[in-house]
Amino acid sequence: MSTTQKPYHFLIRRAHSLLGLVPIGLFLTFHMFLNLTAHGGAEFYDKVIGTMQSVPGIFIIELVVIFIPIAIHAIYGTWVVYTGQSNVLRYKYARNWFYIIQRISGLYTVVFIIIHVYLMRFVEANFSALSAFLSQPLGLILYALGILFAIFHFVNGLWAFAITWGLTIGPHSQKIWMYAMVLVFIFLSAIGLANIAAFL
Amino acid sequence: MAEQKTIRFKIRRQDGPDKPSRWEEFDIPYREKLNVISCLMEIQKNPITAAGAKTTPVVWECNCLEEVCGACAMQINGQGKQACSALIDKLTQPIVLEPLTKFPLVRDLMVDRQIMFDHLKTVHAWIPIDGTYNLGSGPRMPEVTRQWAYELSKCMTCGCCMEACPQVNARSKFMGPSAINQVRLFNAHPTGAMNKHERLAPLLDEGGIADCGNSQNCVRACPKDIPLTTSLADLNRETNKFALDRWLRK
Repeated sequence: MSTTQKPYHFLIRRAHSLLGLVPIGLFLTFHMFLNLTAHGGAEFYDKVIGTMQSVPGIFIIELVVIFIPIAIHAIYGTWVVYTGQSNVLRYKYARNWFYIIQRISGLYTVVFIIIHVYLMRFVEANFSALSAFLSQPLGLILYALGILFAIFHFVNGLWAFAITWGLTIGPHSQKIWMYAMVLVFIFLSAIGLANIAAFL
Repeated sequence: MAEQKTIRFKIRRQDGPDKPSRWEEFDIPYREKLNVISCLMEIQKNPITAAGAKTTPVVWECNCLEEVCGACAMQINGQGKQACSALIDKLTQPIVLEPLTKFPLVRDLMVDRQIMFDHLKTVHAWIPIDGTYNLGSGPRMPEVTRQWAYELSKCMTCGCCMEACPQVNARSKFMGPSAINQVRLFNAHPTGAMNKHERLAPLLDEGGIADCGNSQNCVRACPKDIPLTTSLADLNRETNKFALDRWLRK
């Protein structure tokens, strides 16, 4: 059998894994914490948004730290989803469920981010606009699912990250890391849902 | 005499790679301690379906009959298993037999697992010791290493891990956990370690270790209880180090 060397394959897969944590996962965490300021009321929140938007070079930062990494991760991730074939109905193991949910949550998050960025960046980014959007049941479901799926995708991805980078090797260390990830998921989800609640 | 107890089988039949598939059901007289192969032998002796129609004997592959050769792997009640060690008394009925889906079908329950052996060639799953002169005795293997390496050596290339892996399919080139596990086995051997790079390099290619999706079905499907996910994670570490080192030395 010929072994055609494709040196970029390994690099792309590892870059995909790394981008999920740095910067995307870190940005998600920062984003969740920053939005807690919505509990300070509409005026305070709008002031925080205004401050963020007036940071010099914010467009470049957003492009390099947020948009490009997410675009690469999303486009390559969609290819990864395509090359998988779930068999969860025959092999009903928890990890096999996580495998398919990781892919569903990834795809959903891509759609959610497109809508979210369109609304926030190109329509109107302020407390009352988001508050109005979340007052519709569909808007609320879209956002609640978007936040939970994005956090799940990050946290479950972080579990696999430890395997991809050869940190957790045995089943015991993988299990301990999973328990840690469950705590992170609960913590970030509580913050994420509290963020939504601030706008209701 | 009390009414004869029977075992109901539902078997997916297909006369050839390009022929349509169909289901056939069979009733086998119950005896204690039967396995799936002994039931298939009953069908071979008397190829009559449960409905009483005459049919051809079901084709399957088997060899050792003691779960060390891997030849009789098939889907038993929806999961890849060895037919020889699948005991009737432990299976729910009707017992559904289907061929493995990740390999080209030959006929009925028989598939061609050649791709697995091709993958073993790709990763150099052997230790080269032949030369033009006597190479002498090799370095000793530490006993602690031998103990866990022995577990990895139990692989019989049956394909149950390939069947369970969502990343092994027609759209993907993933070689699956078994060949990757062999890299860890041969790299653990002191003589094999001399050619470590020849086994790590193919793992960086398309279809190599980076295509693992961490569903971890393989380790649960393996009939030999090989710690496949541990081998995958260990080789993730090794390939990361190897790839970075190779790149920095360029």
